[in-house]
Amino acid sequence: MSNKGEKMGRNIQVGQEIPVLTKTAFMPIEEDARNPIHTEGYAKKFGMRGALVAGSTLLSYMLEMLYNTFGEKWLSHGKINISFIGGGALNGDQIIVHGLVESIETQEDGDRITLDIWMENQNGVKIMVGQASCLG
Amino acid sequence: MSLESDFEALPIGFDLGEWEMNLDEKTINSYADLMQWQAREVIDKLHFAPPGTSINRHPRMQFAKFTNLRSAIWAKSEHEFLKPFKIGTKIFIRGKIVDKFIKRGRFYKVAEFETLDENGEVLMRSRETGINVE
Repeated sequence: MSNKGEKMGRNIQVGQEIPVLTKTAFMPIEEDARNPIHTEGYAKKFGMRGALVAGSTLLSYMLEMLYNTFGEKWLSHGKINISFIGGGALNGDQIIVHGLVESIETQEDGDRITLDIWMENQNGVKIMVGQASCLG
Repeated sequence: MSLESDFEALPIGFDLGEWEMNLDEKTINSYADLMQWQAREVIDKLHFAPPGTSINRHPRMQFAKFTNLRSAIWAKSEHEFLKPFKIGTKIFIRGKIVDKFIKRGRFYKVAEFETLDENGEVLMRSRETGINVE
């Protein structure tokens, strides 16, 4: 059993930066995709740099960082609220996932740790911003 | 039908139906591979699906209902994880449209989803705001 969540709860402090997670963005490009925003030509027609990697894929990168941070507790006490900004990600973009402890609030069932979270690409452009929280 | 007229006709409370998903090992491992999920202990030791495994079903549920909608993108996404998704079980996703609005000429719709286990217990609650592109 993972005890990462317990470790974070004991040691974490407001202002602390969470270890970053890096990924090379990737989703298979299918030219007959149901949502053509994930295809090159269509996405460019609407002003995108190219075929957009799905939001759910980018979200999974963020969720992996949060699982790494909070461990098993994330699966039953995690909350996340994000906005997609900055034109999204394309295949091959270097994605860096960040978290910074914003607050620690004592509740009846434990300390709820809130993080400011964001995701940026290789050019430092933020493509996702939001907050996440979990019992520590 | 145009994007605008379809949007205007969309009733708040519109039912997106219920989708079933089998959390078998093949499905979970395929998802983990596709997402480059490195934290393997959640699968191999805890026997749970990575968080978010079912979230890519949510837009598919909408596209299945809105057959005139050609493309859409996510604007916002909120999720509350209440219980782990156990590998080897089935889950059921229910969704509905809860709001819609026009901002800067763009058509936004807000959908809420609940993911339940085989006993009807809620595992995850989601609220997602999307923009209808075309």
